[in-house]
Amino acid sequence: MSMQFPKIPKKVNIAGFVNTRVLRDDKKRQVFAKYEVQRQALRYAVRNTSLPARTRVQAQLELAESHSYTRSTTIKNRCVASGTARSIFRDFKLNRYQFRLQALAGELPGVRKASW
Amino acid sequence: MFSYTSRSLFGVSKHLKVSVPFRALSTPSQPTPEQNNIPSQDPTETSTPPAPAHAASTSSAASTPADAAPAPAPVAPIEAEKYSAPGVKEWSERLGAFDEENRLPRSVQAIYLRPLRRKAEHGLPVCNLQLRSYSVRNVEFFADFAIRAAYYLNLPVSGPVPLPRITERWTVPRSNFVHKKSQENFERITLRRLIQIKDGNPRSVQAWLAFLRKHAFYGVGMKANVWEHDSLGMIAPFFCIASTIAILTSFP
Repeated sequence: MSMQFPKIPKKVNIAGFVNTRVLRDDKKRQVFAKYEVQRQALRYAVRNTSLPARTRVQAQLELAESHSYTRSTTIKNRCVASGTARSIFRDFKLNRYQFRLQALAGELPGVRKASW
Repeated sequence: MFSYTSRSLFGVSKHLKVSVPFRALSTPSQPTPEQNNIPSQDPTETSTPPAPAHAASTSSAASTPADAAPAPAPVAPIEAEKYSAPGVKEWSERLGAFDEENRLPRSVQAIYLRPLRRKAEHGLPVCNLQLRSYSVRNVEFFADFAIRAAYYLNLPVSGPVPLPRITERWTVPRSNFVHKKSQENFERITLRRLIQIKDGNPRSVQAWLAFLRKHAFYGVGMKANVWEHDSLGMIAPFFCIASTIAILTSFP
């Protein structure tokens, strides 16, 4: 059960802004979701000291050989309105500047200018 | 003509603290406190004070309402100021007829009064419903609605308890690039109301929650914690199960 290079997904789950980097991030998410269970099983096997050493080393190698997209750490939140990867608010999935624009336009429910 | 007289009438009624303004029933937001009085006395009470005051304030067109006021109902002074279509009667006339001949259904009258409540016998909490919204209006309205619905389902209710507001604030630079010195603040304040059902039948609690979900109000989220209490028998050794029932999609 060696991990192959992850298959390129045929469909995308993107509703907002699309560019290459957004597509790439979407692919990472899909690949990670697909291999998550397998990956967790391997990690368990590596850490389980009751298993024979050979099995554990095999699992270790398999983890090391697996593609980087199967790791969750490669996933980065991106702005759904502009595709930017920096300073994204989790609550809105928006970049800070897009957040400001939409908040001023009244498109974010409940968000208004504050002064105190 | 119409607007002028109506404004003066409203001002007079506000000044004299008349209990029932003329068109109170046509605008559902205003409560009419004296619903349960004897209906034949109401129109004369309300119609007589504005007429002399009206005569005092606007001396020009005062004669007709002053003459017509005591006799029939609030119909006459309003008829004087209003354009009257032949087929359709005025709101006030129709409601005056309601006062004299028959009345509004009790459930409709109750809308203008404070919500009725059942008395809790044991005071054992069964369901906590939390309403959340960004606007006071919506959450107040829906809390009122929920309490009325609970009354008709025979559920004792306590609340609405105003829970602490959740204030979220964000500070962002005004520009899309650099210029960190000029920033802007945004906030989002979530208002919460807690409605607690006490010793109600679990099935009617479920019916109540389903009813509220069916008639969910825009911009109001709901979250319900339901407790089911069971006897300490052999079959059911557990005493209390807590479960979160309904989190709607609009929950802020």
